[in-house]
Amino acid sequence: MTFYELAMGMKVTLRHLLHYRPITLQYPHEKRLLPENYRGMLALLRYDDGTEKCVGCDLCEAVCPSRVIRVISAEVPNEPIKRYAKEYDMDMTRCLFCGLCVQACPVDALGMTREYEWAVYNKRNLHLNKEQLLAIGDRSFPNREKRLEFQHPNVAFFNLPFPGQPLKESQTLT
Amino acid sequence: MSEHTTTGMVTVTIDDVTASVPKGTLVIEAARQLGVMIPHFCYHPKLAPDANCRMCLVEIEKMPRLQTSCSTQVTEGMVVRSSVPTVKQARKSVLDFILANHPLDCPVCDQGGRCDLQDFSHEYTASGTKFVELKRVFQKEYFSPVIETQMNRCVQCLRCVRYCDEVMDVRALAPAGRGTLTKIKSFGVHELDCEFCGGCVQICPVGAITSRLSMYEFRPWMLKRTESTCGYCGDGCQMTFQAKDNDLIEVNSTLGVGRNNGDLCSRGYFGYHANVHEDRLQSPMIRCDGELVEVPWEEALAVVAEKLTAIKSANGADAIGGLIASRCTNEDLYLFQKFMRVVIGTNQLDSSARYGHMNGIHALQRVQGTHRWSMSFDDLLSANAILTVGTNLTETNPITALKVKEAVKRRGAELITVEALEPAIGTISNIALLSTHHLPLAPDQFASGTIGLLKAVIQENLVDAELVAHAKDYIDAIKKQVDAISWTDIEARTGLTAEIFQDSAKVFTRAERAVILVGQGVLRSQGGYGMTLNLMDLLVLTGKLNRIGCGLAPLAEENNDQGSVEMGAVSELLPGGKDCRSREAQQSLEAAWGCSLPSGEEGTLMDMLGKAKRGILKAMIIVGENPIGSLPPDSGIEDAIGKLEFLVCQELFLTDTAKRADVIFPACSYAEKDGTFTSTEGHTQAVRKAIEPLGESRPDWEILSALSVMMDHPLEYESVKAIGKEMRDLMPGTRTLGPSPLPPRPCLDTLTQYLQEGYQDTLATRYCLPGMKATHTFVLNVGQSIFHSGKFSTRAKGLIQIQSQGVLSMHPEDAERLGLACGDGVCLENQLGQVKTTVKLSDRIPCGVLFFPEHFDQDIQRLFAVSVDNDTHVPYFKCAHVEVSKAS
Ligand code: SF4
Ligand code: SF4
Ligand code: SF4
Ligand code: SF4
Ligand code: SF4
Ligand code: FES
Repeated sequence: MTFYELAMGMKVTLRHLLHYRPITLQYPHEKRLLPENYRGMLALLRYDDGTEKCVGCDLCEAVCPSRVIRVISAEVPNEPIKRYAKEYDMDMTRCLFCGLCVQACPVDALGMTREYEWAVYNKRNLHLNKEQLLAIGDRSFPNREKRLEFQHPNVAFFNLPFPGQPLKESQTLT
Repeated sequence: MSEHTTTGMVTVTIDDVTASVPKGTLVIEAARQLGVMIPHFCYHPKLAPDANCRMCLVEIEKMPRLQTSCSTQVTEGMVVRSSVPTVKQARKSVLDFILANHPLDCPVCDQGGRCDLQDFSHEYTASGTKFVELKRVFQKEYFSPVIETQMNRCVQCLRCVRYCDEVMDVRALAPAGRGTLTKIKSFGVHELDCEFCGGCVQICPVGAITSRLSMYEFRPWMLKRTESTCGYCGDGCQMTFQAKDNDLIEVNSTLGVGRNNGDLCSRGYFGYHANVHEDRLQSPMIRCDGELVEVPWEEALAVVAEKLTAIKSANGADAIGGLIASRCTNEDLYLFQKFMRVVIGTNQLDSSARYGHMNGIHALQRVQGTHRWSMSFDDLLSANAILTVGTNLTETNPITALKVKEAVKRRGAELITVEALEPAIGTISNIALLSTHHLPLAPDQFASGTIGLLKAVIQENLVDAELVAHAKDYIDAIKKQVDAISWTDIEARTGLTAEIFQDSAKVFTRAERAVILVGQGVLRSQGGYGMTLNLMDLLVLTGKLNRIGCGLAPLAEENNDQGSVEMGAVSELLPGGKDCRSREAQQSLEAAWGCSLPSGEEGTLMDMLGKAKRGILKAMIIVGENPIGSLPPDSGIEDAIGKLEFLVCQELFLTDTAKRADVIFPACSYAEKDGTFTSTEGHTQAVRKAIEPLGESRPDWEILSALSVMMDHPLEYESVKAIGKEMRDLMPGTRTLGPSPLPPRPCLDTLTQYLQEGYQDTLATRYCLPGMKATHTFVLNVGQSIFHSGKFSTRAKGLIQIQSQGVLSMHPEDAERLGLACGDGVCLENQLGQVKTTVKLSDRIPCGVLFFPEHFDQDIQRLFAVSVDNDTHVPYFKCAHVEVSKAS
């Protein structure tokens, strides 16, 4: 019995000795093939005409279990009634890459890229603002969706500006 | 609910729970009491049932089909089921029909997270819908500067329209169109123009009507709620500050909380930004070479302590005076008067209650011996007759106005309005339209109207029989006075005949429960004290003064006018409203404070200004008040302030007075501190800190306390609670009394004393008619607008969007006679000067009267002369006679 098990174990050892196949990757000279649904660095996305998708709904902020996201929403300057994220920050030092924010986003404005090489010397460099997150999206997702209002007639009136309306800010008299 | 008769109880079973509820309860209300929530859109406890949304369907045994629980009353033995499959299926299909047309706006909708439709959809329509059709789309229309609509989101429950009609009586909203294409519009072709109470925003179950002020600034779960009390008018509404990142985002009110019971007015709902205005002072400043420079707290306090000590030792304590705004909390007011009386050692102190509220207090104290109403808001609701005199209720005290509206509309009270108002339908509600007897008067003739009512009471033999037996001399004396005044003279001044006075007097006397509301038109105008006493006489003569549910209620303009009187922040009263000359009161206070009270003479606001002008008063401490902005130039206020050797201001903003200060301490607004306010009703309510103090600002009491330490006379308290405790030990009535405080009863000894001789000394002066204006002149009246309160609210961006400037209101007939159109420039002139302004036409005010909102009266103040009441030292400056001409 004991001998049989020993023999089986030695068989594996011998096989690897003869057919040498390394498991350790020589990173960064070698890189691993990533699966299709890899959850890497987060990014903000744009529509095909270059406009930001995010409408500043705060749902990603609400769903994030480790409080990575901070959204400050406001009316788009010069486009009355339209909502957007005036500020959008992610503190990637805390992100778990759980992907809940991506799932929560009602307009598919968030994506998980296949970027992972984000080691930095200064932790502050992992605080990303909206421009940085959009830039990541731009380089990772070159194929963009068309705007929501062209996707289905029932969303044709979602978050549109209404030019006849006065702006919220301009109504603030000094 | 109030309308239902509550005779007896019935037993009802809802979802297998049996309980007995008052007969007449609606099924939906009974269910709520049993802890069963029936989903609903159109039902609201404040509104009459409309049963238009079908969301609240339930199964009731022995009834065919499902029934709407919001319009069905419970009956004996009723068995209701709300969670059976048929009911659930019904809810699902109602929601299906709503969602078939509902936009996918949740991500950008401000209601998201607190939306009834979202909640119910989550609960009852887990699966998709059968509808494939396109959704309805409404063209987006501009609605108003502060209220935004998104009609695509409307579920057509009509709560907003019904609220505006039934509760507010404004009728600004109307449904237009049919079926799913119904949309809510402002009444008329123009944008919404209404009272802007925000009620429709709050009552909309979805995000179809939202506030433009807070739009996109929040999600409900981010907000920190703080229950507090409104700081604008004396109605003392309970409200909730919603704050995020130390900024005020919005204000809500809650059904069933406070006297306002979920209602607010525009000032409360849209006026919160005044607290966090960018011009707020954030650091102490002292004057160096004529310029105000920012310094650390220690330095500013040291300068003040040193200077005040020096003035006190050189010129005596009475060379220092103090003035405080009635907007401060009770704790601030209490500590202020203690500081003045103990640390400085003077009786030269006053508060802004002096501008009018003191007239009401003195009248109450003189006749019935109380400093509070002897009635409550509840009595207002159950009154059979309500007499309002010079209140302009809708604009000055909107929540009191709601009580009057409810009393009249729902409970059939008779309303007698003696007001400078015409019963015209307008953009804001008008109580003259609800009144059974309306006596429109010019604002300088309220005294004639009051005398007319008294004359009618005497003449028609309406005097209380018991009083005739007891106080014959008193009645005879009044009879002699009113007999000397002829109906012709009254008619010449009021334009009203004897009949209407007689009818009104009969209605008033006949009422089992009768209430008199006295407003700023009386309290702040010439002879206000005498008029209030005359109105007390009316109560006494008709035998109502001591009857439960009856009383006279002076309405406070500022939120804590009442508190500043009760805290003793006026020179003639000690804490608890006690006379400062009464030895007994002095002794008990000296025992409590462990030091002696100042013996110097009292100095009210106008006394202090007089002394300052003569160089006797050297220094003033002014807390939150801006006398240069409030008093007209005729009072010599600039001269008085200019002559002061040393002026300290504790302020939120660099006001006209603060600009003259030698030292300014930055104070906190009421959103940044704890404390209490006392409402006009005498109800002490909590104020709570919603955000941290801006910059280096501190609560007023902390500043005074720090100053007292540096002046070697420490009044130290570890927190505002400690001051509250000391106050309550001294004055049991200042406890926060819960939802419904018991009002004090009139003191019979005082009343007897009044009936024997107390009435005599001012009798001749108060029973005489005021002079008449020359026929070609107008009575110019400055007063409160519904959208503002004092000058503080002009810093609130929402209110400024609603009303940003003062325009002169004039009756269209007058305008036609003068050849004026809306928007024309006019020139007002009298012996004091000349002012140009713009005119707007309003059929709300009587002919021959001009109205200007006092919040923007910087220029127009020049036309007003100041006269001071001999008894109460109240300065009167709200009415003037002017000539009007078209500006070239
Ligand atoms: S959930 Fe999407 S749309 Fe909403 S704030 Fe986050 S990224 Fe923007
Ligand atoms: S009203 Fe309610 S359901 Fe409709 S979009 Fe707004 S949050 Fe969503
Ligand atoms: S805000 Fe205006 S429209 Fe809305 S309920 Fe109040 S008065 Fe009516
Ligand atoms: S706007 Fe709101 S309150 Fe008014 S009918 Fe529509 S859903 Fe109801
Ligand atoms: S101003 Fe007066 S009526 Fe309006 S919300 Fe404040 S307390 Fe209430
Ligand atoms: S809540 Fe009963 S029908 Fe609308």
